[in-house]
Amino acid sequence: MIGKKKAAGGQLNEKTDIKTPISEMIRKFKKQKNSVIALVFILFLVLLALFGESLAPFKINEYDYSAILQGPSGAHWFGTDEFGRDLFSRIISGTKISLAVGLSAVSVGAVCGTVLGLLGGYYRGIVDAVIMRICDTLFAFPGIILAIAIVAILGSGIGNVVIAVSVFSTPTFARLVRSRTLALKNSVFVQAAKNLGASDARILFRHILPGAVPEIIVQFTMSVGSSILTASSLSFLGMGAQPPTPEWGLLLANGRNYMMTSMHCTVFPGLAIFLTVLSFNILGDGLRDALDPKLTD
Amino acid sequence: MLRYTLKRIIGVLPTLIIVVTFVFFFVRMIPGDPARLVAGEQATLDAVEAVRVQLGLDQPIHVQYLKYVGGLLRGDLGMSLRTKRPVLAEVTARYGNTMALTVASLVWSTIVGVILGVWSGKNRGKWQDFTGMTLAVSGISLPNFWIGFLLIMVFAVKLRWFPTTGTGSWKNLVLPAIALGTSIAAIIARFTRSSIVEVMKEDYIRTARAKGLKEKTVTWGHAFRNSMISVVTVVGLQFGFLLGGSVVTEAVFAYPGLGQLLVESVNYRDYPAIQSLILIFSLQFIIINLIVDILYAVLNPEIKLS
Repeated sequence: MIGKKKAAGGQLNEKTDIKTPISEMIRKFKKQKNSVIALVFILFLVLLALFGESLAPFKINEYDYSAILQGPSGAHWFGTDEFGRDLFSRIISGTKISLAVGLSAVSVGAVCGTVLGLLGGYYRGIVDAVIMRICDTLFAFPGIILAIAIVAILGSGIGNVVIAVSVFSTPTFARLVRSRTLALKNSVFVQAAKNLGASDARILFRHILPGAVPEIIVQFTMSVGSSILTASSLSFLGMGAQPPTPEWGLLLANGRNYMMTSMHCTVFPGLAIFLTVLSFNILGDGLRDALDPKLTD
Repeated sequence: MLRYTLKRIIGVLPTLIIVVTFVFFFVRMIPGDPARLVAGEQATLDAVEAVRVQLGLDQPIHVQYLKYVGGLLRGDLGMSLRTKRPVLAEVTARYGNTMALTVASLVWSTIVGVILGVWSGKNRGKWQDFTGMTLAVSGISLPNFWIGFLLIMVFAVKLRWFPTTGTGSWKNLVLPAIALGTSIAAIIARFTRSSIVEVMKEDYIRTARAKGLKEKTVTWGHAFRNSMISVVTVVGLQFGFLLGGSVVTEAVFAYPGLGQLLVESVNYRDYPAIQSLILIFSLQFIIINLIVDILYAVLNPEIKLS
């Protein structure tokens, strides 16, 4: 796609005037202040995940029996838990877990779903029928029920939660990529590549896949938010991370025992989950709007 | 219409068979020996064998499958290992509670979601839109167990307006229904808004305004009526998700429904119960999706013709 806008002097400047779908998306995205803020916040979370544990004022399992269940103070910003552990440090260290679970689970789901969607949409026939039947079956379980079923089979633990969440995010990507593949399969450039003798793999990954990438990015961002929610729900139910891991859902579940006297134990972990999921959702919304050709600026 | 309905029902059958088969293999997918897992680490070999016979795992796989499907058709879901009662009895005892919670959540979230969505969509780009959609994106990002705790802390512990846990009166339903419905209200608001925004561009809206109709009539009589098709679809689909979401909410409020039964069964490794509950949750989901599909056709004459 080459922009028709002429550069100064009537010459077409190829370097600046080539509008790819991605560059177009970035340009529109930058106009959405909320989403830019959300992106900055996510980058901040990533930094916290990488360096948070070493920056935290206390060790995550530093017991202090003289400071049990204290409210927020100068020394303990978010207060302490029933063992006198600093909640602020534990929540910071928990960032790593939630981000790692969300990102890795959705990445696996996105890769598997994309490959399945490409194959189904391109080859049709029996391959497509089988893939779509599997997707229908996975869609026949409300999200968290499927995750609970998988955890019930594999046993509780954060690794199994990642598997469970990847499985249920796969069909969404498969359907999305399949419909893009169906649309792009008969486009002129794919036909041209075919006539030039390109292999199926080359057509799928070099010509069709790039056309689906923007949608995949939007779905990816949205799915990370909901996956973090699902993973923390499972930990909350006792099926995910196990103590003494500072996983946010688990911190919240633990805090409920002291709900009557120490509100901070439930308020802060929940706030951490909420803000993280919120920033992924706002980012996803912004990317989707940036992608939508109907929304002209 | 009848032909379309029949076609949809027949179309669901393969999924139904696959789901039943998946649930059947569920117990058999557990790594290691399920009988040993159920009987416990310290159990004697005889005890493990007894459990194996009880679960029917000593028979050839196809016999087990046929027995399982036969049992399902007769309404036999097996025996719960935890309570030693038929799973069906456990389920029916709690089914009403989950339904009450789900329906209450769906009713309030639909009303609030639709109003918020129409309000935002009508005022696209203005502060109302911004407020409405900020609320909505926050709503889908809130963990429902967290909302549950905040509600308990404020309305049950501090203000003492509602009980913290249990069931029995409508008061027990209020807080769990708010916690469960929040994200659904947000999703409905988002869909309603985008649907209203689309409809407002249509010619018949301009015509309605041009002939001097009141803005209220244009909004609800013309714009909303035409966006109802997509709203109904979303509401229907959310009904299924509410059933899933009820698992977490019921755990927060110690609400004796199917979700809590599922969590207890998973913690106890009560496989016959887990198996049946997962089957029930997904059957409901499939049936609701089917009803939504048919309702969609009833509302949208274009589908009936094709």
